[in-house]
Amino acid sequence: MGMFDAMRISATGMSAERTRMDVASENLANANSTNGPNGPYRRKEVALRTAGGGFGAQLASAARASVPGSSSIATQTGTTAGGVQVAGVVEDKTPNRKVYDPGNPDADNQGYVSMPNVNPVVETTDLISSSRAYEANVTAMQTTKTMISRVMDLLK
Amino acid sequence: MDLFDTTQSALNRAIAGTSLRQTAIANNLANADTPGYQREDVDFHSALQSAIGQGTAAVNAVEPKVAADPTAPLRYDGSNIDTDKENAAMAENGIEQEALVNVAKARLDILKTALGVR
Repeated sequence: MGMFDAMRISATGMSAERTRMDVASENLANANSTNGPNGPYRRKEVALRTAGGGFGAQLASAARASVPGSSSIATQTGTTAGGVQVAGVVEDKTPNRKVYDPGNPDADNQGYVSMPNVNPVVETTDLISSSRAYEANVTAMQTTKTMISRVMDLLK
Repeated sequence: MDLFDTTQSALNRAIAGTSLRQTAIANNLANADTPGYQREDVDFHSALQSAIGQGTAAVNAVEPKVAADPTAPLRYDGSNIDTDKENAAMAENGIEQEALVNVAKARLDILKTALGVR
């Protein structure tokens, strides 16, 4: 149904933004991890993509295909709106930074340490931007909730 | 004479339009960080405006639809979403829905009074 779709869509947005916050926090926490199973820590990034209509939209298009004259339901919900989904967490390919620190146990023969390709400033701005986007989704959900309850008041 | 006139039907279709528009705007906001995303919107006003002069049947036939908004990309990732514009559109849509529901409710109350329901 139309309005509840809007709430589900906002929920997908909140979930995606939370994943971005998780990954940015992980990058920030590992900004100085020079030793791991695969050498120094590598920065991760979240790839987002539009989610093609969920179960409701598929059901609507199936109903449109099978029942003649049912187009009125299908066209109204026949939107591609399915929110957003995390396509994957990908590794940032930029090379590691080399820092001269011969005392470090992870230093190579020349005394250079490979530092993670994490820039704390970039991670912090990413955190702020995902937090703002999260808030926008929360506001959208609140507005949807108010709109639904207003329509429900028509029954009184 | 019908119990529900053209105006009441137009109010119903407009409320349905604002619901669908809310879904489209929520989708735009959810995809605020999706690269290459194209915003969607619902224009039910123009269809309703032209149908309103043609009677109740024409108004009831108005189906609000979600359409892509092909404005030029705003960002380097090819997306044309501006979160502030979406928020403004959402606020406007919410107020419009409130107005429509209030008018529909007032008209229904008049009918109820006439029928002696209350």
